[in-house]
Amino acid sequence: MNKPELAKFKGYVAANLVAFALIGLSKLIMADPNVFIYAEFVIIPMLMGVVYTWFMRKYVISTRALAWASCVNCFIAIVLSAAFLREGIICLFIVSPLLLCFVLLGGLLGRYIFRRNNNTLNVSLVSLMLLAFVADSLSGHHYENEVTDTITINAPPAEVWKHVVAYRRNTSPSKYWLFKAGMPSPVESTAEGYYLGAKRKCIFSNGYVFDEKIVTYDENKNLTFDITHQPLDPEIMGHIDILRGQFLLKDNGNNTTTLIGNSWYRLYVFPVWYYDIWAQSITRNVHLRVMEHIKQLSETK
Amino acid sequence: MFSFTVKYFGFLKFVPGLAIVFDAWLKIHTLITKPILLDWIDLIETRMLSLPNTTTHNHKYGGLQFDRYQTEIGHIHSNGLLDMLLTRKIKANLMQQGRILDHHSFKNTGWISFYIRTEGDVQYALELLQLGYERIGERE
Repeated sequence: MNKPELAKFKGYVAANLVAFALIGLSKLIMADPNVFIYAEFVIIPMLMGVVYTWFMRKYVISTRALAWASCVNCFIAIVLSAAFLREGIICLFIVSPLLLCFVLLGGLLGRYIFRRNNNTLNVSLVSLMLLAFVADSLSGHHYENEVTDTITINAPPAEVWKHVVAYRRNTSPSKYWLFKAGMPSPVESTAEGYYLGAKRKCIFSNGYVFDEKIVTYDENKNLTFDITHQPLDPEIMGHIDILRGQFLLKDNGNNTTTLIGNSWYRLYVFPVWYYDIWAQSITRNVHLRVMEHIKQLSETK
Repeated sequence: MFSFTVKYFGFLKFVPGLAIVFDAWLKIHTLITKPILLDWIDLIETRMLSLPNTTTHNHKYGGLQFDRYQTEIGHIHSNGLLDMLLTRKIKANLMQQGRILDHHSFKNTGWISFYIRTEGDVQYALELLQLGYERIGERE
């Protein structure tokens, strides 16, 4: 292995070692170690890029080579996350654009500061990033959100209600690209009874079951249920908790019903400006999959 | 993709750092679709830095900015879009040649846009940047 190749190799190894050491450290000092914080997806990837360029500081790195190196660094980190952090494939697919972007930004930053060869600037920037990492690790992280979707069904509320509380298996193919890619989608719902306090189950395409309990039962108008237990799926484990679901039925007076689906969830992954886009998209498509199935069942004579 | 984002999400450029994040994604997109463009931008940077009193840094809305005496000559987004300010007279002359465009955001100003798509465009981009460089020189 020639010298530049050896420097590259050392850069990849060191960048990933630093990243995993810092993730381990953050879990030790964080108030809630189950939360994946902003620092782990923004600052650590940037530091990975900086560490890589430190090993390459004696060589001229073109932007193209740096971008490729960032892809390799990111790929190694993803493989290690799958192996050691037991993350799911779709979850890693979702995180990869964020990681790649910040590893590249860190690389560009590193190339800039090491080109200037200003040790004061180098130490200051790295210290600033580490300070931000510690501050973020010690800060509280709590984020909850609600997603609402609405469809109109050509059937009266009493007919729709029958399929809202429980519905038979949905065998139609999913339209949403993440469901097509293998993310589990809701296919069936069962309820032990049509009354307040009844237990309900939402069954997903991979067999996972969400246990639910009906907390509001206002016939033909409002079904609200709390999620009492959700499966330990590697794609969602520790990243999102679905807290509550709700179906509201509004009689339009013309033999049609407006069905409103609401879900409340808590995110355990930050930054929310990135992950909430995905959470909203997935929750919306879970709603639509269920609501379109209810529509189809209600409108079938 | 760039035009779509600027048209519909352009207001987000005021969120600190977001445009720089977007430009990093543009770099990754360029790496996949036209990697040689990244080499051309590096080449332009090297040539520009060889001119006296010229520096480069990140543009506030993403991209590589070239300055002379800390005054912007122009900037290149990572999809190869060169944006720069010229005088209206120079702009009018160049527009007649048909290679440059009105700036993608600032219409009816001295700002121009030029897409670097071929190796030949690199030389033309350097000529444009040289014009911008000289324009600032005359003001000093």
